[in-house]
Amino acid sequence: MNWTCVQIEERLSDFLDGLLPESERREFQAHVDSCSNCAPLLAQVTHVVNRLRAIEEEQPPAALVSKILDQTLGPRKPERNWLGWIPLLWQPRFATGLVTVLATILIVFHAIGVSPSNVTAANLNPVNLYHSADRRAHLVFARSVKFVNDLRIVYEIQSRLQPASGPAPNQQAPSATPAQPEPKSPRQSQGSSASGNFALVAVALADGPGGSFR
Amino acid sequence: MEPDAQLVQRCLRGEGPAWEELVRRHTRRVFNLCYRFTGNSTEAEDLSQEVFLRIYRTLASYRTAYGGFPTWLTSVTRNLLVDHYRRTRRDRVTDALDDVMPKVEEKHSPVRTPDKAAMARELSEQVQHGLSRLSPELREAIILRDLQGLEYNEIQEVLSVPEGTVKSRINRGRIELARILQEMGVRPD
Repeated sequence: MNWTCVQIEERLSDFLDGLLPESERREFQAHVDSCSNCAPLLAQVTHVVNRLRAIEEEQPPAALVSKILDQTLGPRKPERNWLGWIPLLWQPRFATGLVTVLATILIVFHAIGVSPSNVTAANLNPVNLYHSADRRAHLVFARSVKFVNDLRIVYEIQSRLQPASGPAPNQQAPSATPAQPEPKSPRQSQGSSASGNFALVAVALADGPGGSFR
Repeated sequence: MEPDAQLVQRCLRGEGPAWEELVRRHTRRVFNLCYRFTGNSTEAEDLSQEVFLRIYRTLASYRTAYGGFPTWLTSVTRNLLVDHYRRTRRDRVTDALDDVMPKVEEKHSPVRTPDKAAMARELSEQVQHGLSRLSPELREAIILRDLQGLEYNEIQEVLSVPEGTVKSRINRGRIELARILQEMGVRPD
């Protein structure tokens, strides 16, 4: 039997659902293979059916079951679940808040000198916390004062070395203290450590007693 | 898992937990049927509630001889959807023209996210739009067969029409939907 295009269209779903007997299936396929109208139609319908079957089910709204049960069984008592708040912590707004609070606590503990790895009940005593914070504040203040004083020394030395960066002071210096090492350039001394500062002080002293160095 | 028929018997004896189990088990199916038919999530939610309210009131009329509980549930849902369709037909006629244009533009959008979820969403929307352009008879046949995966005899029971009519509607529905999606630019890869 030779199939017509109309017959092909009528039996398309039977073919796709595997409801055609084997002999008819072969005839159907033979027609489609040789027909420029039916081949694209079969391809498109097959594609659509595959797409339909690939679609995932929609998730119903979370409250739908409760609404149905409320309408049919009447309002029910809310379930008591003591651990029900835990999933809330994973919500971004709560998680961000929690992380911020923890970070703040860590910073405050660090500032007052309590190590998070070594927290004891005595450490958390308000009196001890106050003393610890007071001590830390004084330490920080003392370090700041020392740092500022060091800076003053360095700048004074630099200001004294600046006009002497030419050849003249270099010629004077060896005569005063021939054993002194070569003075460093201001740029080098700026980048040096505290021990380097002492070397600069020595050079400044060698430069002459007329400076304002104290 | 306890069979549906047994749960129904427990419901009829007034056991609330049995009804709750029945609702939890079938809400997704009913919601999806309503959603695919109406294409609107809010409407589908309202209709799903109506379906279960009707089921709750008529549960005593269910007999296992009618077929499985899901088939009966689908049948009740389908009848309610048809009622709803008739009720809202007038509103839809005025909306129909406005509805076509923006949806057709969506397919030309050059922005295609390679993300799998986004592609699935796009596919779902295209098919949903295609379905909404089918006549209700063809649409319900396609939804029951290709989206809900019902067998021909089950669809026959749900729609209360002869098997030949079911086959014819499914076939015409698929061809019609294929043409609509082709117009929208959906073609085999």
